[in-house]
Amino acid sequence: MNVLAATWLLTARALRESVRQPANEVANAFIPLFFYVVTVGAIGSVAQNAFGVADYKGFQLPVAILQGAAGVASGAGLAMTLDIQSGYFEKLALTSTPRLAIVLGRMLADAIKAVILAGAIIVLALLYGSEFKTGVPGMAVLMAATFGFALAYSGIGVAIALKTGSPQAAQAGFIVFFPLLFLAPTFAPIEVFAAWLEAIARANPVTYILLGMRSLVTEGWDAAALAKGGVAVLAIGAVTLTLTLLALRSRVRQ
Amino acid sequence: MLAIEATGLTKHFGPEIRAVDGIDLRVEAGQIFGFLGQNGSGKTTTVRMLTTLLRPTAGTARVAGVDVLANPAEVRRRVGVALQEVGLDELQTGRELLTLQGRLFGLPAKEAREVAARLLEVVTLTEAADRPIRGYSGGMKRRLDLACALVHGPEIVFLDEPTTGLDPVTRDAVWQYVLELNRERGVTFFLTTQYLEEADRLADTVAIMDRGRIVAEGSPAELKATIGTDVVTLTFGSEADAGRAAAALNLFEGVQRVLTAGSEVAVYLPNGAAAVAAIVRLLDEAGAPARTLVLKQPTLDDVFLRATGHHLDDGSPRAAEAAAPGGTR
Repeated sequence: MNVLAATWLLTARALRESVRQPANEVANAFIPLFFYVVTVGAIGSVAQNAFGVADYKGFQLPVAILQGAAGVASGAGLAMTLDIQSGYFEKLALTSTPRLAIVLGRMLADAIKAVILAGAIIVLALLYGSEFKTGVPGMAVLMAATFGFALAYSGIGVAIALKTGSPQAAQAGFIVFFPLLFLAPTFAPIEVFAAWLEAIARANPVTYILLGMRSLVTEGWDAAALAKGGVAVLAIGAVTLTLTLLALRSRVRQ
Repeated sequence: MLAIEATGLTKHFGPEIRAVDGIDLRVEAGQIFGFLGQNGSGKTTTVRMLTTLLRPTAGTARVAGVDVLANPAEVRRRVGVALQEVGLDELQTGRELLTLQGRLFGLPAKEAREVAARLLEVVTLTEAADRPIRGYSGGMKRRLDLACALVHGPEIVFLDEPTTGLDPVTRDAVWQYVLELNRERGVTFFLTTQYLEEADRLADTVAIMDRGRIVAEGSPAELKATIGTDVVTLTFGSEADAGRAAAALNLFEGVQRVLTAGSEVAVYLPNGAAAVAAIVRLLDEAGAPARTLVLKQPTLDDVFLRATGHHLDDGSPRAAEAAAPGGTR
């Protein structure tokens, strides 16, 4: 069986699991929506005067999407540790399927879930009064970017899971995201940051993903912002996929 | 033709732990090969190396004629494996799990579904097939795990303690199925077990593993014939009594060997029935009366005891050969 077909079979299996454990997905959706509503409620009315953002609902929309994607994608590592601990990982490893598919199937499932969650967040944000400058095509691009980010980000938890086999360690992968998200223009434009924070934010790849996504919502088509965001996703993906492959190699070649 | 061939197969975990210490294996195609040993003797590590889950530290192994290091994917395609720990995804149903397993071995979707349905019937799980596995009993999970190992029609099946934890009825059903597959389809089985009865009943050849090494190998009948005598097994109230009894029994006419293991003494001698009364008298005179005395034909347990110095299933202290005055008899 080739790696793509095997990956799809294992993706379908992971998605079936999610349907059977809806509580996990509800939690993944609740957290970003809660922060979205609360942040917009707290800062939205002063955002125009404070830092010149007219549509703060749109400004915060990509933050909620990235937060949701990171939450969903961190599940891949935890699920992988459960497979390892239950012995099911070895059962899969004993099939003739390419072992890379065991990992990719899990990551792809979480990327698909992140896209579904992004769609739900967009719909709710529109109902809440947010604008979306690039319309439906922009939404499709935003969801594609979410897919790429979630796929790349899930590699952190999966790599930790494969290396340690520990659920606690794999969950810690989610923690990596918080500094990255808050060291980016999450609540305010980068131009109003203190110089030290601006320097860190400009070195943070999540900044460019966030700005690229935000441009679709609040500004319209901005090729440069989208290109930078795409490069940032690819860069994170290259690092995490390399780590994942090294961890997989280490686990299956004991 | 050899189904499994290993030479100098070795696995060390760090410098201290020699889990498997240079074993040689020759398993003929179509055999049921029983691998007996206590926990920690190296059985599972051997299985894991032969099924490509572990890389040997040294040595070579060919399974179904394929080198496990050079072409592990081909080895996996040709073998089925049920490991000691049942490894199932409990959120799937039994049918989903088997079908997926078949698909991952490259079966077309329709065939995978058909094979899954047939195997579910064989392992008597048809009624539970569409329920999540998390609701299955331990025995049901074990049977499903066994079915997973067979889903792609492997020519060699590795079963690592397949009946541990099963009730006698289910255990018997598993044995029947193993024998059926072996006799009717020529499937080779490599079976690790702690159950002597299982090895005796199923295996064409038995290897006894102890501390990472194979210490005896042959058919159950051949191995039992190596004992060559009856066995009188005596238990005593204390290890001191057992020691005194062993010393006395070593001087008994016709005794070929005396082994002690804790408060138990095994005496190997021809025509044991004729000697029982004299043995009882001798022990009374030695001040070490036996609590129980059992006379029997040699069993695999006796073979195991003689080969390893301890029983297979009780964790008793290693047996010591009772030294007779002037040397061991």
